Amino acid sequence: MSLRCLLSDELSDVAMHVRKLVGTKHPLLNTARGFIYDSRNNLQMRGLVVLLMSKAAGPSQHTASDLLTQDMVSGIYPSQRNLAEITELIHTAFLVHRGIVNLKEWTNSDGPLKDMQFGNKMSVLSGDFLLANACTGLAQLNNTKVVELISSAIGDLVQGTYHEMPNSLEDNSLTDEINMVTWEEQTFLSHGALLAKSCQAAMELAKHDKDAQGLAYKYAKHLSLGHKLNSDLQLFVKSSSADPVTFSFNSAPVVFHRQIVGQERWCHQLQQAKTIGRQIDYTKLRSTIKLEKGVTSTIDLCHYHGNKALESIQCFPSSEARSALENIARAVTKF
Amino acid sequence: MAIPWRLCWRWTTGATSTRVLETICGFNGRSATFAASSLRGTGAVACSGYEGMSSRPVHTTSKGNYILTSRHKSRLLYPTPKPCCCKRIHSDAKLKDPFTLAQKDLNHLYDDIKKELFVSKSELKSLCDYYFDGKGKAFRPMIVVLMARACNIHSNRDGDLLPGQRSIAMISEMIHTASLVHDDVIDGSDKRRGKTTINEVWGERKAILAGDFILSAASMALARIGNNTVVSVLSQVIEDLVRGEFMQLGSKENENERFKHYLEKNFKKTASLIANSCKAVSILVNSDPEVHEIAFQYGRNVGIAFQLVDDVLDFTACASQLGKPSATDLKLGLATGPVLFACQQFPELHAMIMRRFSTSGDVDRAWQYVLESDGVDQTNYLAQRYCQEAIRQISLLRPSPERDALIRLTEMVLTRDK
Repeated sequence: MSLRCLLSDELSDVAMHVRKLVGTKHPLLNTARGFIYDSRNNLQMRGLVVLLMSKAAGPSQHTASDLLTQDMVSGIYPSQRNLAEITELIHTAFLVHRGIVNLKEWTNSDGPLKDMQFGNKMSVLSGDFLLANACTGLAQLNNTKVVELISSAIGDLVQGTYHEMPNSLEDNSLTDEINMVTWEEQTFLSHGALLAKSCQAAMELAKHDKDAQGLAYKYAKHLSLGHKLNSDLQLFVKSSSADPVTFSFNSAPVVFHRQIVGQERWCHQLQQAKTIGRQIDYTKLRSTIKLEKGVTSTIDLCHYHGNKALESIQCFPSSEARSALENIARAVTKF
Repeated sequence: MAIPWRLCWRWTTGATSTRVLETICGFNGRSATFAASSLRGTGAVACSGYEGMSSRPVHTTSKGNYILTSRHKSRLLYPTPKPCCCKRIHSDAKLKDPFTLAQKDLNHLYDDIKKELFVSKSELKSLCDYYFDGKGKAFRPMIVVLMARACNIHSNRDGDLLPGQRSIAMISEMIHTASLVHDDVIDGSDKRRGKTTINEVWGERKAILAGDFILSAASMALARIGNNTVVSVLSQVIEDLVRGEFMQLGSKENENERFKHYLEKNFKKTASLIANSCKAVSILVNSDPEVHEIAFQYGRNVGIAFQLVDDVLDFTACASQLGKPSATDLKLGLATGPVLFACQQFPELHAMIMRRFSTSGDVDRAWQYVLESDGVDQTNYLAQRYCQEAIRQISLLRPSPERDALIRLTEMVLTRDK
């Protein structure tokens, strides 16, 4: 289904238009490029997890269910397959919408304004197109509970993404209070809700009971959080490379660090890390952070989530699919 | 249930004009005869329930095309249709007033919509609530509740709304608003309904997110109604809205294709929402597919008429009345009804249309041509035709105050000035 969507006239139009963006600095170009060329991001991890989860849960045990085992292909119902595709559509739509730029923040160094305007237009339209296809796809699943669940995931994605945006041009996140509890909540919204609710929905589609749905949800939730923690940690655990380093102050090790050392010390450390030109020397700041417990706390948390994910998936009957999911959980939280 | 969109529309010799009118609008034989005889100027044609209409004068231009003119400035072809059995006009008029009838149901509509927009971050909440301040026309929800009641009565129930039907009224307004928020980013608009747009105040990124959120809330409310068919019908709208926007990106070379493209775009961008919302409320109360079709067709025809009038107003209204500046369509490079009709009299417009009025001075010149031509009149006439079809459809339902209000509503669509 997503193939049909990708081959549609509308997206072909967009592809043609996006070519005009080559040479400009609009983020859509990167998103599109990443989608086609970057095999890491293109793994379609979410869709894969939904499929594996569907397979691991097996056929419905419900005697009242009208789902036939013979409808399954490779142990997955067609509706579950469609759901996996829909999940990827929604994820991609948000990647695209995230790349929209605020025109008021445009400066000459960004290139011609009309390129940014055009890039925005393409981003809005293609993101909307993907979302619209997700909606019609959801409708075709003929299950209003699933529609409600996945729609709420879209709402979560919005809220999670919104939190990541500063309130004003002046970035106050440098000195705002923040803690890991809030971090987990926000990160779940932006990075976990979609997958968690999708997995739950996959169980619902196969008429599995509430327990199975809960386990699927938990696995995906912990997997997603573990994955984000891992990704945030990369800059802090890899041996230092020659490349200049920058990191978000919202990344887990930094947030942990800020929570541990407290507001005052953090501000002091920030000052210390500023060069004469009042720019932040990230390499120096990173060293400072590594001296404290921020990084190790993050690693511990990552392991915690990995274990929680394993705990949940191990409640399903043993199978190849379940093993695959266990391996994913271990890989994502390995250091 | 696709409505066949035929190709040719050119106003040519009288022999083909009947077929032409019939085919553009997908009308059946009966209305076409009505129109054809008016073209030939044969005077009153009886239509049940309506008074006779005055004949419309027809003249040919030097190019041999028939062009319809109307001597009067009003867009109405005929006086207010009266119900067959009742002669008391004034109290009827009050009874049939759509706004009054729908008032009760729409009272707390915006408050209820805001309740659906359940979000923790207060800034995002302000963005989502921004256009649900009660200042919108609530045109779509009004049609939806009236149609719901009319269908309920037709189906031998009392008129009261089913809860799902009221939800659909809310959902239609939410979907509409979400699309407006995105449209403003796409068009780079800074004003809507007399307010600064969300993208102008908070930036494009947040505006898009707000639109996505409203859409997700609408989708959740839709799912909660618990009817798979209704979910399908309204999800189709979301897709149509996006496809309609895409259709605006390209310009068609061929004149014939252009008009067809224009009408189809109008369906997707405007009429689909109304048509499918009407269909959805009928589905909730009645299982007869003919009733669904009547509701759908009413919505579709009113929707297209509404957009046609909107396109006319872009040329004729002045900025203060609309709450946004006019000639917007031209400035966006869009060729709407009046321009497409004017093209026949002023072939210079062809090139301008193809380059989307991008050359300096194009917008002003095009505007001049349109006002000098009868493009506006022709578009109005077309809107009337769609309204007539809407009336014909809705008249197939059992009589009720709501049904009559829906008939009255078509007039309001034609005579509105903002």
